[in-house]
Amino acid sequence: MTALARSIGGHTDAFRHDFARREVELPGGALQWLQDRRRAAMTAFTAIGVPNRRVEAWKYTDLANLLEPDLLPITGSGDADERVSPLLDESNHLRLFNGFLSRCASDDAIDIVDLSALRGEVPDWLRENFGVLACGPDQPMGAASLALMRGGVAIRVRRDNSLALHFSNGASLRPCVSHCRVLLLVESGVSVRLLESHTGETSSGSLRNIGVELILNANSRLEHIRLQKDAADAVHVTSLGAMLRRDSQYRACYAALGARASRLDINIRLTGDRSEAALHHVAAVDTGIADITSVIDHASPNTRSRQLFKNVAGGHGRVVNQGRVIVREGSVKSDSHQLFKALLLSPRAEVDAKPELEIFADDVLCGHGTAIGALDEDALFYLRSRGIPEEEAKRLLIRAFLAEAVEGFGNEAIRDSLWQELEGALTKAAKASR
Amino acid sequence: MKLLEIDDLHVSVQGKEILKGITLSVPEGELHAIMGPNGSGKSTLSYTLAGREGYEVTRGQVLYRGDDLTALSPDRRAALGVFLALQYPVEIPGVVTLTFLKVALNAQRRARGEQEFDAVQVLRSVRQNAAALNIPEDMLKRPLNAGFSGGEKKRMEILQMALFEPRLAILDETDSGLDIDALRLVASGVNAQRAPDRGILVITHYQRLLDYIVPDRVHVLAGGRIVRSGGPDLALELEKSGYGAVVEVA
Ligand SMILES: Nc1ncnc2c1ncn2[C@@H]1O[C@H](COP(=O)(O)OP(=O)(O)O)[C@@H](O)[C@H]1O
Ligand SMILES: [Mg+2]
Repeated sequence: MTALARSIGGHTDAFRHDFARREVELPGGALQWLQDRRRAAMTAFTAIGVPNRRVEAWKYTDLANLLEPDLLPITGSGDADERVSPLLDESNHLRLFNGFLSRCASDDAIDIVDLSALRGEVPDWLRENFGVLACGPDQPMGAASLALMRGGVAIRVRRDNSLALHFSNGASLRPCVSHCRVLLLVESGVSVRLLESHTGETSSGSLRNIGVELILNANSRLEHIRLQKDAADAVHVTSLGAMLRRDSQYRACYAALGARASRLDINIRLTGDRSEAALHHVAAVDTGIADITSVIDHASPNTRSRQLFKNVAGGHGRVVNQGRVIVREGSVKSDSHQLFKALLLSPRAEVDAKPELEIFADDVLCGHGTAIGALDEDALFYLRSRGIPEEEAKRLLIRAFLAEAVEGFGNEAIRDSLWQELEGALTKAAKASR
Repeated sequence: MKLLEIDDLHVSVQGKEILKGITLSVPEGELHAIMGPNGSGKSTLSYTLAGREGYEVTRGQVLYRGDDLTALSPDRRAALGVFLALQYPVEIPGVVTLTFLKVALNAQRRARGEQEFDAVQVLRSVRQNAAALNIPEDMLKRPLNAGFSGGEKKRMEILQMALFEPRLAILDETDSGLDIDALRLVASGVNAQRAPDRGILVITHYQRLLDYIVPDRVHVLAGGRIVRSGGPDLALELEKSGYGAVVEVA
């Protein structure tokens, strides 16, 4: 598998050359500890390369063949735009343009480090926690994002807080690639809400390659609401690694609303006793691929994970849901459940769903289910017989289908803006299905 | 004026003829009962009148207030005043009952060119009607029909009928599966809806309902045809001698 992947890989070679030529020029190139982690990441990446369908975890999303042949690495932020996050909130607002931190408004309970300007003195929390997750061979694109990182942001939150992280990119004449990293460290006992949004109105087949590290210290809480909406010809890969220490809780609601291909590649380690992760995902696509692939690693007793993925695919859109749950030896009383549901609005829409369990401990509770179908004809007739026109009745049913995954996240204003984005994508999906 | 005129109606489902020439008319202000054994085509008739896809009219016609009904979409029919209470109301998880009622009511009003109701007006109207049907407020906040008992679902259908104020209401076995108290409640709900400008078609398998709702006419449906029509006494005769005898005589 590895040899084959490598022999194909024009992009893999291009990434390697980029690294070999510019290693010392990259941000923090003079920091030995960082250089060591980057080299290890490059080795991990090279073992797999830019994955194609022969790599098992990428068999439904042939990344290597979805990319434009030549991708120019983005080395500077260019002129930042002033677009704000569509998930409006009064929180601390950070913007990343082309993968570089462009604007940053925050209070004093948050420490922020611009990763494009790493040099000299680096805070201990950064050195201890950065470049540890989302950089192994199981997340090859995450490894590339660390090795080739040009920009990004590291954040430490010390008091209960809420912050927004908005990614956008500028027009380019050629297809580009940006490698960007994010670290969020939530200190013990602290509760954080993270709003992450990606909009990309402009792309000429560019690749966004983002690596995200979330570290939840003991007793902390992180609520993560993520909106990804890229241009129809863009490719977006986010590799997310999370480490959950004792009694911490991670709750996430991810929305994937379009791209030529988007992949959210998740690896969550429940390393502390009684830590919990709940991942909700909604996808609404009319074209392209929306892929969410997760690995949840129950590495401690009494840990709990929940996954609820709800997908709506119209036109010739395709959705991919893969979830692997691992329960390590000794992780007794682990409790996990994953449920993948998809609604297909068109005969050309597709879904690939693959839940997997690897259990090495006794006394555990693990369940999974998948349900794929079209809109319920009985329900549609019922609503129409009550005077609700066909299009409106469909919208009502689709919204009802997704509601469960969105309920309970954020506040009313955040949910409203999320719904507004979802309705936009659903309207496109319904139109493309006619 | 005849509210509903069905003439020689033939209907096929998936290529199989189920209704084989039904002729029936309901004038304004009257309540007619259609009785018939299981599988005789009662639900097929009601779905056809409501405009469900897949119910193909192969011969005959259906006039509603003088116009051809069969060419209209289900939502258009509803806006024009046709209401069907389903034999098996559909569960719609994720859509709150009250929200549904408001959306449906306003969709009908919009289609008729009437001013939409605001949330307060809808709520007031829903509350009034719900109280009479013994529907608790809490039920209105739950997803539509999801986890409702059989009786609750049927009462919810009658609530909708009261709210939408249709000109023609078709009640498909609204009585089946109800205990005697629920039956009384539903029957008084229906009786309250009888009006000079409204026609009601009550479809039932059992005579029992007609102890509480006295019809103007009774029709017996068997094998996709109306085999007998008569006054309220026909229902009593059916109860005594059963469908077999009536169908044979025909
Ligand atoms: N969707 C369908 N496809 C094929 N046959 C059907 C369908 N629905 C009903 N039928 C048949 O049509 C006949 C009448 O059914 P129905 O109208 O439901 O009767 P009733 O409501 O009087 O019990 C039955 O023989 C039934 O099997
Ligand atoms: Mg029936």
